[in-house]
This record gives sequence, C-alpha cells and structure tokens, in this order.
Amino acid sequence: MPLDTSTYSLAHLRVDGRRWNELRRVHGQISTQAAADGSSYFEMGNTKIICTIAGPQEQRRGGNSGQSHDAKVEVEIGIAGFSGVDRKRRGRNDKRIQEMQHAIASAFTHTLFTHLYPHSTITIHLHVLSQDGALLAACINAATLALIDAGIPMSDYTAACTTGSTASYASNDEAADPLLDLNSMEEQELPFLTLGTSGGDDQVSLLIMETRVQATRLEAMVSVGLDGCRQIRSLLDGIVRAHGKKVLEARVT
Amino acid sequence: MAITILAPAPPPAPAHNRRVSTDDEDDLDIDDLPSGHATHSTNIITPGQTVTDDVQWMRGHGTFAEADSTAIRSTLAGTLQKTNKLLSIVPLRARYTPEIGDLVIGRIVEVQSRRWKVDVAAPLLANLLLSSINLPGGILRKRTSVDELNIRSFFGEGELLVAEVQSLFQDGSASLHTRSLKYGKLRNGYFMAVSGMGGGSGVVRAKRQIFTMQTARGGEVDVLLGVNGYIWIAKHVEEEQETVGINRLEETASAKMYSSQNDEISLETRREISKIAGCIRALVDGGVKVEEERIRWAYDANLELDETEGETEYLGGERGKAIVEIVLGGG
Repeated sequence: MPLDTSTYSLAHLRVDGRRWNELRRVHGQISTQAAADGSSYFEMGNTKIICTIAGPQEQRRGGNSGQSHDAKVEVEIGIAGFSGVDRKRRGRNDKRIQEMQHAIASAFTHTLFTHLYPHSTITIHLHVLSQDGALLAACINAATLALIDAGIPMSDYTAACTTGSTASYASNDEAADPLLDLNSMEEQELPFLTLGTSGGDDQVSLLIMETRVQATRLEAMVSVGLDGCRQIRSLLDGIVRAHGKKVLEARVT
Repeated sequence: MAITILAPAPPPAPAHNRRVSTDDEDDLDIDDLPSGHATHSTNIITPGQTVTDDVQWMRGHGTFAEADSTAIRSTLAGTLQKTNKLLSIVPLRARYTPEIGDLVIGRIVEVQSRRWKVDVAAPLLANLLLSSINLPGGILRKRTSVDELNIRSFFGEGELLVAEVQSLFQDGSASLHTRSLKYGKLRNGYFMAVSGMGGGSGVVRAKRQIFTMQTARGGEVDVLLGVNGYIWIAKHVEEEQETVGINRLEETASAKMYSSQNDEISLETRREISKIAGCIRALVDGGVKVEEERIRWAYDANLELDETEGETEYLGGERGKAIVEIVLGGG
C-alpha cells in the first residue's frame, strides 16, 4: 500500500511522514569531477545522480553534418544495475531511457544559448546511482547544476519536480488532493506527472505524464508542481551561490 | 581487541540554503564597482538574475535582455565586471575561448589536404594551415604541391605543438600559425592539462608564457604555459651554433624542427620535470593562478621543504598545501 488511505485522511501524513506539499531533502554539489568541463552530484531524497558535461566541443563526424548554426545538446543516461529495488540490466537501446534522453535534451535546447557555439555539441552524461522516484526530475536538476558549472550560458535555471494525486485513477475520487514530490512507492500506484519549468515566471519547458488521471484533478496537480519547481529553483540557486562563495574565497589574487 | 562503540557524529549541517533570491535583495551597487578587467565584485550572480534595469548600461558577455524589456539579466554563474558602461559576467569556470595573439599548446586531431585540425581545448577545433608553418629549407620558401603530399612529415595525428592564434573565424574557431622559431613541434617533455583562461584557476595571460628554469640537479628545463590550459614541460635543448652560412643554419635547424624523436633525457632531468609538474598541480589545486613567478616560487619552496621535511615524489596533499602557503607568503 503506497499511501495508506485510511490513515492519510486522518493525519494527512504520507508513508514517509511528509505532508502533501513537502519536498524531500535536496542536496547538491558542484564541480565534483575536475576532469569534466562541468559536473555535479544531486540528491532528491534517495534518488542520487552524478552528472558530467563534455563540451561544447566539435561535432563528431558522421552524424548529421548539416549546416546547423546552433550547438547540439546530447544526453546519455546510464542507470546502474544496483540503483533500483530489482536488479535490472538496461541496454543502450532501452526505449524508456531513450525517451528520457530526448525529453531532457529538448528541455535544455530551449533554455541554453546554443547559438553561441555553432557546429559544436554539448553532451550531458547522467549516471543514476540510486532511484527512489522523480528520476527524470532529478536528472534535469543535476544537469542544470552541471551546465552552470561548465559555464554554458542559459536564460535561467531549469528546475523540475513531480506531483501526484492522492487517489488512483480507478477510484475516481474527485476530491483527491495533489501531492508534491512522490517517492518510488507512491509513484507505483498513484497517478503522477513530471513538470520542469525555466525561470521564476513559470515557463513550462517539460511536462510528462505516463499515467491516467481525471482531467479535473490535473489543474491542482500542475499548480502544486509549479510551486514545487519554484522551491527547487531557489534550492538550486542556494547550492550555486554557496559553491560560488567557496570558489571565490579559495581564489587568491 | 575490545570492541568500542563510537557515539554517532552529529549530521553535517544540511546544505539547504532557504534564501529566496529576489532581485531587490541582491541589489548590486554597480556604480561603486571599480571599472577594469582586473577587478570584479565579490557578489555571485546566478543565471536568470536581473543585474540592472537601468538603461544607461550596455550588456556584454554573459548577459542577455528579453525582447520586451530593458533589464539586463545574467546567463552565467559568476561575478560582475564593469568596463566603462559595459557590464559583463565573468564565469566561475568555463571552457577556453581563443583570442588573437594567444599562445596555445595543441594536439593534432586530424590531417586534411592542406591543413591540420588541432585540439586547443576550445569549443571548436583550431585550424593550422600548411601555409602558416615554417617549411624546412628556409623561412621564406614557397609552399609546393610536394609539401602537400608530405603533410604528415611535418605533423601527424596525436602530435603536440605550440602555436599562436593568428585569426578567428566567424564561428569563433581559431586559425593558428607557427611562423616563429619559438613555435613548432614539441618533444622531450611532459604534457599536462589544467583549466585555462575563461574563469577559475589555471593559466593566465602573462608577459612571458615560455621560460627556462634552472633546476637543482636536472639542468635546465623549459616550461611552456599555453593560455588554453595545456602545459608542456621539457628538457631544454641548446640550439646548435654552427658557424655556417645563413642558409645552411636554417636547413639544419629545420630538419630537426619536425623530428618526432626524443633526445636522451637523464633520470635527474625527468625527476625535475615531474617535480615542476607536481608544483603546478599543487598551485592549481590551491586555487592559485599559474604564472612564471609563482611556478619559480613553488619550485624553490619545494626544494626547501625537501631539505627540512625530506624528499617526496608526491606533491599533493599536505605537501601541496605547504607549497601553496609559502607561495602566497611571497616566495
């Protein structure tokens, strides 16, 4: 039972003790790997991601060598076998991973200033060390931090989080409350969507939903998600500022 | 051995910085900031943050303005730099962007019919045209089709060279030249890559990027600091001073110029080369900008520490910190 409906209605506490609008612990580090152009480590609860950026660098030969005047954003996701509850080997051609890669690439193509680096490629490598829900959202947040570390210009942070609904689709409960930042147990049974926004003014750059939910519940879920993204953005901003302060203090003239 | 139970350590303070950055709060005093390249404010600016709404300022690198507003917003995480009325953001760290006149060290990636593609750690590979190298047999010789056929005899894939950025193309990629006796193929040495110009610690543009150090036991060692963050440390080879005609001298010099064969390097010299590399790495780890004077200080500091604390080969960790401290104290 992901969300004990009998107790939830009484105490409004989820299985992990959070309220409906509470995020899990967010922790991030920047510049974790010296050899990469940009790198980050990001945790959302027990979802843990390492991200490294290669580039902008010259486009590899063979691909589409068309005269594109913008940098291309490529994403590669590696999900470790030990990251989930069941040890599953995922190949390179896994359709779910490919879809996530495409979603992340297209989200960042719109916020990055790719026109400043013509004919080049920016590759985002994401390594999932541990997954406990909000995988796509954590990947996007990790990539945002790493891209900032790489010094690649962007119009604003891209922050993402998930929102769900307290009742499943089948129960057809109109009065179901929205939930913020689901963990993997909740994700398995409740309808949820991943929302990514860019900037404080709520420009949605990514919205993915793979489960069914009544359309009347959607509005509340999206508005809770927008609020969650705003919280994530300020957390990311705090991480970047703390890192910048540390760098400037260490730097001697 | 008895089992002891350690009390759990208190958890580290969470990195939650719950500060919500509003634009009013981070109101920067742009007017107070001194103008110039050397000085930046110590305020961190993050992507999307509004730098100023004032129309008197012009926007430079690292900033943008949306079509319907005059507010200048940042695109990078970094510090503000003011040059007269131009505002730009200097990133904390970024890839090297070539500028005309930069001394760079590069690696040949690709050989084409009349040019080489060179990796200089920039977003795009640099070009080195066959016509912008010194051809053997006289500096002013005209390029012939035989040279085109023998292009691999000058530089092959994977070989290292030192060159200068001659011009920039429209897309920002560099065109290099080696038309000076200072430039050309690199051999007899050790390559290392640190971060270059473009924010962060690493190599900075300085008066002298190529210099020779007198080492304690290994003779003279050349250090070449590429602005792109690539560094070459090599045994110093005296140029032979033969009393021959000017043309003869050029021929002997240039026959050696494109040789890929290393000279005999003694064990002592190799050890000194690796020590200098260790010193540079310690400086980079300590966040100190790498330049000639600092490297000399670091090397001397390490020699002193060798005497007082015993010789070590690994110059990181505690020894690295000690070296950086002495360098910051002024050599």
